[in-house]
Amino acid sequence: MSTAVALPAEITGAGRRRRRGSWLISACLVVVGVVVVMAVFGSAIAPQDPNAQNTFFILTRPSGAHWLGTDSLGRDVFSRLIAGARTAFLGPLVIAASSMLLGNLLGLLAGYRGGRTDALIMRWVDLMWAVPGLLLIIVVAGALGSGYWLAVGLLIVLTVPFDTRVVRGVTLEQAPRPYVEAARTLGVPDWRIMLFHIWPNVSPVAIANAFLVFAGSLTSLAGLSFLGLGVAPGTPDWGLMLSEGLQDLFVNPIAVLAPGVMIVLTATSMNLIGDWLQERLSSKGAAR
Amino acid sequence: MTASTTGTVSTADPVLDVTGLRVTRARPGGGADTIVSSVSMSLGAGETIGIVGESGSGKSMTAKAITGLLPPGLTAHGEVRYGGRNLLELREKQWRAVRGREIGMILQDPFTMLNPVVRCGQIIAESLPGEARRAGRAQRRAEVARRLAEVGIRDESVAHRYPFQLSGGMRQRVAIAAALARDPRVLIADEPSTALDVATQREILALIQQIQRAHGMSVIMITHDLRVAFAVCERVYVLYAGSLVEAAPAAELRDEPLHPYSQGLLLSEPPAGHRVRELAVIPGSVPSPDQVAGSCTFAPRCAWAAPQCRQGTPPLAEVELPGVVPGRLSACVRLPEIRAEMMLARERAGREQHQAVAGRAETALISVRDARKVFQQGSRAVTALDGVSLDVGDGESVGIVGESGSGKTTLARLLIGLERATEGQVTIDGIPATDWPALSGGDRRRLRGTVQIVFQDPYSSLNPMRSIGWTLAEAITTHDRRARNVPARVGDLLASVGLPASYAQRKPFALSGGERQRVAIARALAVRPRLLICDEPVSALDVSVQAQILNLLTALRAERRIGYLFITHDLSIVRQITDYLYVMRHGRVVESGPTEGVLTSPRDAYTIKLIESVPGRQALTPRSATTSRE
Amino acid sequence: MTARGWAFFLARRLAVLALLLVVVSFAVFSLLYLSPGSVIDTLLGTNPRTPAELSYLTSEYHLNQPFLTQYWIWASQAVRLHFGNSIQTSLPVTSEIRQRLPVSLFLGVYAYILTVLLGVGLGIAAALRRQRLADRGIVGAAIVALSTPAFVSGVFLIYLLGIQVRLFPVAGPGTGFFGELWHLTLPAVALALTATAYLVKHTRAAVIGVLDQDYVTFARARGLTASRVLTGYILRNALIPVVTMSGLILSYVITGAVLVEDTFSLPGIGQLLVQSATAKDLPLIQGVAMVIAVVIVLANLLADVALMAVDPRIRLGRGSR
Repeated sequence: MSTAVALPAEITGAGRRRRRGSWLISACLVVVGVVVVMAVFGSAIAPQDPNAQNTFFILTRPSGAHWLGTDSLGRDVFSRLIAGARTAFLGPLVIAASSMLLGNLLGLLAGYRGGRTDALIMRWVDLMWAVPGLLLIIVVAGALGSGYWLAVGLLIVLTVPFDTRVVRGVTLEQAPRPYVEAARTLGVPDWRIMLFHIWPNVSPVAIANAFLVFAGSLTSLAGLSFLGLGVAPGTPDWGLMLSEGLQDLFVNPIAVLAPGVMIVLTATSMNLIGDWLQERLSSKGAAR
Repeated sequence: MTASTTGTVSTADPVLDVTGLRVTRARPGGGADTIVSSVSMSLGAGETIGIVGESGSGKSMTAKAITGLLPPGLTAHGEVRYGGRNLLELREKQWRAVRGREIGMILQDPFTMLNPVVRCGQIIAESLPGEARRAGRAQRRAEVARRLAEVGIRDESVAHRYPFQLSGGMRQRVAIAAALARDPRVLIADEPSTALDVATQREILALIQQIQRAHGMSVIMITHDLRVAFAVCERVYVLYAGSLVEAAPAAELRDEPLHPYSQGLLLSEPPAGHRVRELAVIPGSVPSPDQVAGSCTFAPRCAWAAPQCRQGTPPLAEVELPGVVPGRLSACVRLPEIRAEMMLARERAGREQHQAVAGRAETALISVRDARKVFQQGSRAVTALDGVSLDVGDGESVGIVGESGSGKTTLARLLIGLERATEGQVTIDGIPATDWPALSGGDRRRLRGTVQIVFQDPYSSLNPMRSIGWTLAEAITTHDRRARNVPARVGDLLASVGLPASYAQRKPFALSGGERQRVAIARALAVRPRLLICDEPVSALDVSVQAQILNLLTALRAERRIGYLFITHDLSIVRQITDYLYVMRHGRVVESGPTEGVLTSPRDAYTIKLIESVPGRQALTPRSATTSRE
Repeated sequence: MTARGWAFFLARRLAVLALLLVVVSFAVFSLLYLSPGSVIDTLLGTNPRTPAELSYLTSEYHLNQPFLTQYWIWASQAVRLHFGNSIQTSLPVTSEIRQRLPVSLFLGVYAYILTVLLGVGLGIAAALRRQRLADRGIVGAAIVALSTPAFVSGVFLIYLLGIQVRLFPVAGPGTGFFGELWHLTLPAVALALTATAYLVKHTRAAVIGVLDQDYVTFARARGLTASRVLTGYILRNALIPVVTMSGLILSYVITGAVLVEDTFSLPGIGQLLVQSATAKDLPLIQGVAMVIAVVIVLANLLADVALMAVDPRIRLGRGSR
């Protein structure tokens, strides 16, 4: 994945760099914070029951009673939006964390040990590199049946290779450096070198990458639910809400656009935070 | 001393005349940092002048300012007169007529200077003047071949090859041919030989001189090495922290520097001909121009600084003192008073110290017999070491001299267990050390406590994410698991290399190159080794800092009675530090013996070639009658 | 590289990719056995479970034979593009695919062209005007585009340009070349958005990296014209990381196609895949998966060849001193 240069500071201009950059990040943090609150408390803070159907109020426009209107089954869109944060947040969190854990371990091993370990790991990574993840999940879902947590598991399997590749790249850069060789010469054991010497230099990229993985998983899971292969029908979920409301775009567009906006907002915030973190963490410690 | 405003030389009509050149960098929050505060110089037709300075002096930016190639964010002020105009006022389109055709430039690193995806012949062809470019293919090819022959490449196939297929020296020649393709009147050479081997360096410098004479070009040679400037230039300008401190004809400067900094620079380099007791050192490190604005830039580090030195910036003025040829300029206001003291300091520093070299010890601490090391690179096998035998006694200081590819670094890595010899035997302190993984844990620990290493690049020798204290503490506790009072020991280590204990909290990026190298030495000393392998420990440092580190190493040896295996390509350094010498080439030892003996009366042809490649310099002491010239 | 060298290289790559296809085909074939429930139940779908059906299916799908033999039979037929019949429609899988392929190809190529043109163009523009307004705008837009999956951007495009403004049609593939072009514009844009954003980021970083290089300074020092420096030096070298990315770009385009076809009701391969997955129509899934795998493999091969053409260091190896 790219460790390319788009940084929040670059977007807001170098002029008053620190001040401007930080308002953007603060905004992102607020968005993420709101989503977390929605995910944790879910229906508890929703004004109405997300699943309550009401045949008298199908597809109404936004009003005092329903801030974002209702969908084709009379359910309150706003409450569904809040409840949908859970599936939008939990899955990607699990994926990002697991993928980071496994990917970092494998990447360190491959980059530091080299030789056969590296060849083996990289062969698997290269195999997965060319495969479009979503398609693989669709195919497997076709065979095994769809499901949210199945998709999460498959996404973990698909994302680990990317993390591994990124971490391996940085490890390969660091491993031949004199400070690593000096540690070896002093007799520091390999595992200590990997964890305490190399990983601190890898961590900025690894942590930033975790945020990017989160954003990517969010959109992938939403996409699967959109296709009907993710969450079970009827669950409040942003992706599913989009597909449910698609044919009613003419009548209550808000029911469709709102979840779309939430997806984009959350993913963008995570991407920006990830890029910003990488910039902050690496410039603080790294010398050259 | 009469003041003169420009550094005009005896030449009547300068080709290039720089007056009051100033380079600033815009700060993101507003305001500007000064990179070059004031440079004035002039270049006559057919003349070679040198701009000498360490890193941070602003010499590269001066060159880039003259050709209008400053990086974005930097601006040049002042006057650069060429052909009746001020070049600094040119717009980009007008610059294109000047660059290449009037003023050419070659950069420092031949490995990054050439477009990697274009063939060498094409690189030269695209630089040719318009008519030659538009001529037919056969004519173009002939012209390219002619240019290549001019820089000493007669092999036609070179034109078809890509840069990565050529050696560093070849690439530099191609670059020179490309830079000269439009026959400029002035050539600016920015450290043209720094990235190359000593022997190749000499060839490239000779080539530049030869071309200059053939074309009648004027050359500005930018370098950090005074010896190179003396060998090649007629007139030398010394740059320090963004401003000129001295300007003089090369031979005069070499014989008698008239500024404390020039003198310091000269004395930091060990003399080629003999060993001295201690290298004269310039304490501290180079400041940024803004830090020393409004005073003599060298005052904070000068041994003769006085209050008058800090009252305003001293002008670069003509020196009128007895025995000084006209046309010499210096920015030292105290020169008349301190001239005699400077002379004394020079004499003292240059005094030869005879080192009585004891015979070699009976039992060697390290013994290498017929070591061979072959690397497999894909389908090719590269022999790095081809039957090397070597001994280092306890407490002895042994040097290994060779160029890149000689195998000296591979040998060092063999001795600390980072590589394993394909054949041969290595014995350290009686323990067979040929195959480290096969040893017992206890033996390995003993070996690690016997031999340690200091690497070349101080910027990657320390973990950038860890504090100095952490790094040193780890060195202590890894070897001695039951170590107590570690913070105190860390403080002791720092003190032994001349650093304050408070540095333990700092991270490497806050330290200068010299300080980082000191920490690297401290780390190696943490396990109290009996031998320290130093792999080019000072080549990445500024000259003035090199002397500090070399003195430190000498002092440590006397204090702790440890031995050194000093690996370097620099003969003057090896003479200063070591008692016994091995000369390596292509993985073999071609000559060995006491250092003095080998360097004074070499027997092997390669050793002779190495010695002759050192840019010629004269011994510093007035007593010395013989002058050795290139 | 010599002709023989090229031949060897291609042969080696093809062998590796053929191996990959075999592995994929084996995995795809095994899906039938991995799915819960017995094989027969899966194949029956909603058809009645009669003895006649059972014996028909058993002989048709060789269910009596050992696993590997079944695989071999299936594979040898797959190579000839016979994937059996769809469970839902009982039509041959191959004809279903053939019907749907043209739309997807048109969409894919359209989107790919848009991606490359916009991605590289905007990336270069941003890099050359680094830190100025245009650059910041492009970078900001890229980050938002990155975070917008194809189905979301599809929906937004439908709403803005199809309903509010009524500029483009919102469903169906259209007829005739220009009809298709018109109908597929919104889907192609939606599809291209994410991939374009990645390409912009990478191209921009690549060009910025090149601008700082010594060889660009040296070129200017020799008085070369700005256009020569731009084309021969900057673009040529920035192209290398971009070509490296093309495999990934293709991945995005194919992935997005599935989502976009669903959104815009386009009868393409992607929609076919989703329908077959939802209905557990395994022969169809197998067929579509293999076709997509072949497309990906071929595209990656092309990308490798392009990389060799563009970077002489890869072509000639580093050993020829």
